[in-house]
Order: sequence, then C-alpha cells, then structure tokens
Amino acid sequence: MRWAIPSGRLHTTALCAIACLFACANGTARAEDASSWRELETKYIFGFTTGSGIGLEGEKEFTVESLGRFGKRDGSYAATETKYEFEFTPSQFIQIEFGALGSTHNISGVTGLDDRSQAALAGAFAEFRYLAIERTSNNPLSVTLAVEPTVRRIDETSGERVRNFEFETTVNADIELMRNRLYAGFNLLYEPEVTQTAIGDTQREAAFGGSAALSVRVVSNVLIGGEVWYLRHYDAANLTSFTGDAVMLGPTLYVQFTPKIFMVAAWNTQVWGREIGNPVSLNLAEFQRNRAKLKFAWEF
Amino acid sequence: MSMMKRLTLAAFGAIAMLQVSPLQAQQATEIRLTYSQGQFQPSQVSAPADKPIAFRIKNLDAKAMEFESSSLRVEKVVAAGTEGVVNVRALKPGRYEFYDDFNEKARGALTVQ
Repeated sequence: MRWAIPSGRLHTTALCAIACLFACANGTARAEDASSWRELETKYIFGFTTGSGIGLEGEKEFTVESLGRFGKRDGSYAATETKYEFEFTPSQFIQIEFGALGSTHNISGVTGLDDRSQAALAGAFAEFRYLAIERTSNNPLSVTLAVEPTVRRIDETSGERVRNFEFETTVNADIELMRNRLYAGFNLLYEPEVTQTAIGDTQREAAFGGSAALSVRVVSNVLIGGEVWYLRHYDAANLTSFTGDAVMLGPTLYVQFTPKIFMVAAWNTQVWGREIGNPVSLNLAEFQRNRAKLKFAWEF
Repeated sequence: MSMMKRLTLAAFGAIAMLQVSPLQAQQATEIRLTYSQGQFQPSQVSAPADKPIAFRIKNLDAKAMEFESSSLRVEKVVAAGTEGVVNVRALKPGRYEFYDDFNEKARGALTVQ
C-alpha cells in the first residue's frame, strides 16, 4: 500500500485531529456530570499505551486484537498480527492472559524484504500482570508490572519462517487527573528477543522505550485521546548496539458498547526517526511509517 | 539454563512472593448487604482500614444481580433469592464504589477509615 498523503501533511493532520478531539472533549465534558458515572477500568483506554488495570477478581474476557504496521522506505508494505486472547483475573492483584497469534504480510518492492502475500498462524503468547501500586480515592496513581513471553514461527516484520522468542517487560502506570474524566497513562518498555532464521543464523535484538498518553471521557462510555511513543532499537539484548530510534504519535478511541463489550482503536504515525549510519528522515528500517490497533473484547 | 528461562522463573517467583500478604490471614470485617427492588440496603457502609473485608450480599429480588466494583476489583453474580460472599483484600483508607452490573441505578459505597 502506498500512502497518498505526504508524511509532513500526515503529521499535521494527526496533530490537528488530536487538537479537535480534545476541543470536542472539553465541550462535551462540561455538559455532562461525571460524578454520576461508574469508575473506569483503565487498561485499554490509552491505545497502544497500556493502562494499569488488571480487571476484576473472577472476571474472564475474550479479546481479538489486531495490530497493523504500514509503510516502509519504498515499495508497498502492510503487515498485521492478531491476538486471539483469553484473560482472567485470579486474584485482586494478578491478571493472566494467553492466546494464539495470527499474522498477514503483504510486501512488494521493499528494499531488504522479500515480496510475499501470506496469512499464517504465527505463534503463541502469555502475559502476567501484577498490580504493584493501587489507586484509591486518596491516591490517583496506579502501577502494574507486566511480562509477556512470546514464541513466533513467522517473523513479525518480514513474514519469513523463523523461530523467535520475545520477552516483553513493561511498567504500566496511569493517573486519574480529574475524577471519572481525565486520565494520563505512561508505559516503560524493554523487549529483548532472539530469532533463529531458516538458514540457521541467530539474531539478537531489543526495543526499549516509553510512552505518554492522555484520555478524556467525553460521555460515560466513550474516551478519546492521544499518545506519543519514543522507541529505540538495538542489535543486542543488553542494549549495547544502538541502531536507531523513532517517535510515534496519534489519536486513540475507547468505546464501551455494553457493560461487557468494548472496543479500542488507535493510530500512530512516525513523526520523527533516525537510522544510525543512514542520513535519511524517519527510521523505516526498524519501525514502520504508520501503525494501527483495533481490539474487541467480551467479558463474561 | 537460558537467560529467557531464568527471567521467566524469576518473574513467576516474584509474583508468587508478592501475592503472599500477612494481612490475608487476619479476621475479615463482615459487611451485610441486602439487594431488594433494585437497590442496596444499606447503600453506604464503612469498614476499618488494613483489614480484609467480606461482603455478604443477600439478593431478595426475583432476578440475578452482579455485585461489582472497579476499585475493589471484584465481581460476583448472586442468583435470585440466594446469598453470595465476596472477599476483599485489606484496604487503604478511602471511598470505594460498588454497583449491580445488571442495573445501572443500583449503587453504593464503602468508606474505609
């Protein structure tokens, strides 16, 4: 897929969209009384940024979450990874998730990547979340620690057959800035991985970074917001071989359809990036030009 | 053992240790609630801080209700004409809202002091 909008204009459009969302949010927010709204579970209200929520003890949830990555330096690039996920909360401090991964790759004419058009069962994952600091009416900050081991048989970027092991570690924090109304989220990410290619090469790499997000509850069941991510890439798990970094920015949306069904949508555009040893704008070697997230969840 | 396996084991161990709280062994403060005509009675309750709490909810209505609270991080369906018990960890001082997830209007709050 080739993007028709020049990247500079796309960035401006994204910023304007966020500004409009917040303007709308402020107007609508003033019109409604948030004190009558129920408290909110914050895990999914920040787009790609994960909130600190761990669900409710006894709660079970099935979710389908698709992440799309679009655009490289040249050619046409579109890849998705979909999580088919079951999550449950066995105690008031721990949440466990696990599931399967499906992927699609549509690549044509991208330097360094083989052309392919495929869909595959890509792997499996599990996630363990521990609520370290809980929010109370006297303390607006909540912090959760999470680890997510993942095994893949299809490379996320190239779509090639590989053996990949990833161990994502995150700190998910959020603050309720205005009761039932305005939330800020922060993530810290360390994601080491090792990949064995089809010809037997072993590659070690890591991503490290963080995010900040704001989300406004415009009506009781809808939140809109924006987030910014700063990501660094290394060709070593111990963060010694820096290869480039990027800043992603974009809007987020959360809609609670019923007390048991909700959706999340987010879009991030790379607004700044650099590749070490390659004096070009943006980092499209390790990151994508745009990424999107769409998630549907059913609690039971 | 690979670094990946060691990290996984360490994470499991840390979570297991953090789960064990000496407060869990304390005697729980029992709070009795009645659910009738779509309302909690009483709707405002209180409990001491740093002690576990056991909500005992008697549903007198002809249909099921779901006792739920985001801040207490619990949910439990209580069938019509039955009683359910919801155990809650020791809490810090503050206000904790609860509600019936099947009925928007049924709400209450626990004040912990």
